[in-house]
Amino acid sequence: MTSWLNASFSGLSRAAAGRQAVAVIVSVARRHGDRRRPYALFALLAAGALAVSARGEDTFFAQRVAPIFEQKCVACHGEKKQKGKLRLDSFAQLMRGGEGGGVVKAGAPKASELFIRVTMDPEDEDFMPADSKPPLTPDEVKVLELWIAAGASETTSLAAIKGAPALAARKAPVAALAPDWHPRAAQIAQFEKSTGLRLVPRSAVPTDGLVLRTASAPTRCDDAALAQLAPLADLVVEAELARTKITDVGLVSLATFSNLCALDLTRTAVTSGGLGTLVPLQKLESINLTSTEVDDTGVARLKQLPALRKTWVFGTRVSTVAEDPAAAK
Amino acid sequence: MNVFPTPFQTRRAFLGRVSHGVGAVALASLLEKSSSLHAASARPAARGVVYPLPLPQKAKRVIWLTMAGGPSQFETFDPKPKLAELHGEAMPESLTRGQQLAQLQGQRLVCHAPQFPFAKFGKNQTEICSLFPHIGSVVNEICLIRSMTTDAINHDPAHMFMNTGSQIAGRPSMGAWVNYGLGSEAENLPGFVVMVSTGPGRSPQPIATRQWSSGFLPSRFQGVQLNGRGDAVHYLTNPGRVSRAQQGADVQAITALNRQHDAFVHDPEIATRIAQYEMAFQMQASVPELTDLRGEAARTLALYGCTPGDGSFAANCLLARRLAERGVRFIQLYHRDWDHHSLLKEELPLRAKEVDQACAALITDLKQRGMLDDTLVVWTGEFGRTPMSQGNKGTVGRDHHNKSMSMWLAGGGVQRGRVYGATDELGYAAMENICTVHDLHATMLHQLGIRPDAFTVKFQGLDAKLTGVEGGGVIQGILA
Ligand code: HEC
Repeated sequence: MTSWLNASFSGLSRAAAGRQAVAVIVSVARRHGDRRRPYALFALLAAGALAVSARGEDTFFAQRVAPIFEQKCVACHGEKKQKGKLRLDSFAQLMRGGEGGGVVKAGAPKASELFIRVTMDPEDEDFMPADSKPPLTPDEVKVLELWIAAGASETTSLAAIKGAPALAARKAPVAALAPDWHPRAAQIAQFEKSTGLRLVPRSAVPTDGLVLRTASAPTRCDDAALAQLAPLADLVVEAELARTKITDVGLVSLATFSNLCALDLTRTAVTSGGLGTLVPLQKLESINLTSTEVDDTGVARLKQLPALRKTWVFGTRVSTVAEDPAAAK
Repeated sequence: MNVFPTPFQTRRAFLGRVSHGVGAVALASLLEKSSSLHAASARPAARGVVYPLPLPQKAKRVIWLTMAGGPSQFETFDPKPKLAELHGEAMPESLTRGQQLAQLQGQRLVCHAPQFPFAKFGKNQTEICSLFPHIGSVVNEICLIRSMTTDAINHDPAHMFMNTGSQIAGRPSMGAWVNYGLGSEAENLPGFVVMVSTGPGRSPQPIATRQWSSGFLPSRFQGVQLNGRGDAVHYLTNPGRVSRAQQGADVQAITALNRQHDAFVHDPEIATRIAQYEMAFQMQASVPELTDLRGEAARTLALYGCTPGDGSFAANCLLARRLAERGVRFIQLYHRDWDHHSLLKEELPLRAKEVDQACAALITDLKQRGMLDDTLVVWTGEFGRTPMSQGNKGTVGRDHHNKSMSMWLAGGGVQRGRVYGATDELGYAAMENICTVHDLHATMLHQLGIRPDAFTVKFQGLDAKLTGVEGGGVIQGILA
């Protein structure tokens, strides 16, 4: 069976899918042509011209328009409900239109059903959002107007449309968990190669940090391997060290992992004495000490960690076993 | 320019090789576990095709508990007092008109009261059938979905649908998808492990191994079944006088031959075969360690209520936790014999007893070890059952039903102590927050850090995905 290899082409085909999707939309528009508002096809073609270019996150649509829909419309025009057969949870859906056909006429806000609906008399039963839900603010209306006037495109950059009022940011930008790892990609690869351990990005966001993974072969990870990690220490936000060979010596290295949030030391040889070295870890939120020799004195040392929220001590000598639901029963 | 080194190499195989870099396996290192040479020749990282993950991972692994046969929601998780009131009366035709039924087709449809009382559990006083007191005791950790639906009404297609997102065999099962996407974490255990248990008693429908097939994905992603009783893997131990070194030398020689052939024809299945020999060799060492429960505390065995090696669902739950600890990405346990067309009142309590304590123990145990937060546990059958009685098979039971079923999830970034969705008064159809199997798959992928709609493999001219052509919506309402 060789067909799976086609997976390597899926990147290519996905780029092409942008084009296909547009072709499909156009043919739908034709089929229902008589019932549709005459400008539907026009808007779709405009979209089609752009669909093959990259969809960046810093486009005007993504940053300014989509958040408005998300906040005020998607509850009724999204995945779960499609009032008026209209979905506003993606550009493609928006361009597909609703019951009455296209809702956006590129270049002409005042002729676009969507714009008409949000600017008409709020007492009118066609006014959107329906059911006396919070209406758009004048700033939000302005954003929609400028965007439609500028061609209602998915790919126009944020900078290209001047004079748009700044709305509350889409999502409060998540604070960086660690410095961008990309500049040190070669060092990361070198570490993986020489130790057989893995440093995995937490997500596609480059400042989300790296996870140190050892589950594939925990015995390969020892104090020496951790010491080798020193030049990359600030990138690691999560260290999975369960069942590894690390000891209190390794904890000394770990104390320099300034951005470490989660640490799993399950079934390692660390001791209560060693835990004291972790005190510099200002961001450490969780520590797993299951099946270690740690006792009450070790846990007491952890009290100095300001961010620590979760400590697991199942199968240790710790006497306060509040975290142990089995014992609590 | 001829970029294809030999005429025997297909263009696809060549491109696949270039982009995936398969075949760079270092068997020599396996034989020298402790030497530093080993570290130096470390294998390529076990990366999946989705790298880096688009979303932060909420769940790192999945333990999927399949209650095969289709448990009745009326005797498990969906209380329906109105159904009890109408017991023995005709089912309103407005509900049942046009619905396809499995064994009740064309029969008189009569309401059948829930057979056991429900009791209230947990901080939200969630109503759960009194046959499940242990699951009730951990209901604060559980997200119960009462509005699941499926497409199929017969066992095999319904299992297929639940496992692969398609009723027709041949698609990769979810465990294969997940390992293909994320890569396998464990080096000496398969990334997708399956275990099947059957209570004593009746002989339930068979479960075919194609339920955990890798479909059109490379066969190294398929589920590997371990036995709960006897040898976990048949022929695991070397025959009498064959030492581990000798066995290693054999595997090495075979691998060398395979690799030579591979260099010539570049068939990806050869790389798979090389990997499988290597995995088998690894498992000769790792499986005995995995199944050796001597290190488990007596109170842990008591928590699950199992005797090591008894092949019970409970013992498999304990092994599931051990597999999870060892980096296995997708663990699927089947417990059979939930197909209560008849003997509902007699047999269902027995099944409940076989799984109730074990399910709760698994959740408790994962939680106390700090593993529940990043392990997604799923409990589900392949479909639900009718509120109508079925009496044409002897004593009374319920028929298969796809418009309503109950299932639950725990851990892995889903809400704790939550009930999501509801069925109508008689439990005939999901009414509120209706969920589909595709939605469930999409939610699972999302929690694993993958965007469900973008996770595709080109197959037969389509961008095939686990969530099917229609796609599934992430069930946002249950996410923590
Ligand atoms: C509380 C639910 C609700 C909300 C919120 C809501 N809508 Fe609607 N919308 C409806 C209903 C119901 C209809 C169908 C009846 C109609 O056409 O007026 C509809 C129809 C529409 C239509 C016409 C679709 C067609 O092709 O016929 C447009 C355009 C529209 N909505 C835009 C919006 C926009 C823009 C927002 C957000 C600012 C919004 N809606 C928010 C309920 C809602």
